[in-house]
Amino acid sequence: MDKWLQELEPIVVHQELKVPYRYSMGAAASKFFIEMRDQKRILGIRCPKCSVVFVPPRSSCGRCFSPLEEWVEVSDRGTLQTYTIVHYPTAVQPIPPPFIYGVIKLDGADTGLGHLVSETNFESLRIGMRVQAVFKEERAGNMLDIKYFKPI
Amino acid sequence: MSEKGGSLLVAEFEANFPYDYSAGRFASYFFKQLKDKKQITGIRCPKCQRVFVPPRPACGYCFVGNTEWVPLGDEGTLWAYTIVQFPFLDPMTGQERPIPYGYGYIELEGASTRLQHFVTASDLNKLRIGMRMKAVFREERKGDLADILYFKAIEK
Repeated sequence: MDKWLQELEPIVVHQELKVPYRYSMGAAASKFFIEMRDQKRILGIRCPKCSVVFVPPRSSCGRCFSPLEEWVEVSDRGTLQTYTIVHYPTAVQPIPPPFIYGVIKLDGADTGLGHLVSETNFESLRIGMRVQAVFKEERAGNMLDIKYFKPI
Repeated sequence: MSEKGGSLLVAEFEANFPYDYSAGRFASYFFKQLKDKKQITGIRCPKCQRVFVPPRPACGYCFVGNTEWVPLGDEGTLWAYTIVQFPFLDPMTGQERPIPYGYGYIELEGASTRLQHFVTASDLNKLRIGMRMKAVFREERKGDLADILYFKAIEK
């Protein structure tokens, strides 16, 4: 083998790509987060045509495209529809693994909300279990103002 | 995450994407020469004799393995350039690059291909195709392409 290959020290280049983000949440999401931040209330929005209550709320119905204006309050309690346990660390995660991602259908909502589930061991998780939102004391106006959902 | 006040929220945050990639045998050798000896090295194709810089394992024309390492100097000719007025982000820091800055292709003495890098002169407006350029190295070299800070025009 060539001498240079024998003496070679393979290099692994480590880089940290930093991507600054700045995005406008929009009218519907802004109202949702402001209500959570200031009042600890969770809002949904109802479609006038198909009566679906979307949580988180959006400006137009995903099924019939009607403009959405009817705000409703939904409960901070709901049912765990599905979950997964994350073990693998990646760069963009809300908390370090292992942690539980769940889809929670809050009472009064017709759509599921993706969020963290905690205060439980992995073995006790059951689809259909009742959970409740645990809010942070200091809230900033984003989805992590809910720390996680805990079993009730 | 920080959100501005008012009824329309704006989220501002910095997403961090750390990544590691293996430079490969040929790039590793190139960077080692750069780091240890301040030496820019090309590689020659045994068939057509072209010298590639940065080095590559196989010749793009003949499809045979490149075999002979060729130490190149740190001087060359400015083959093409542009003066960048837009503050692109430096991917290493996420910060805007100070503008204006020059970026160009430098044909090093003895090389068949051109190296892309930052170019500068006492005044950016003095840059001309055909100018003699010289590499300016970083004091503390780490073994990456930023060990060459930029190529500077040799002016009288």
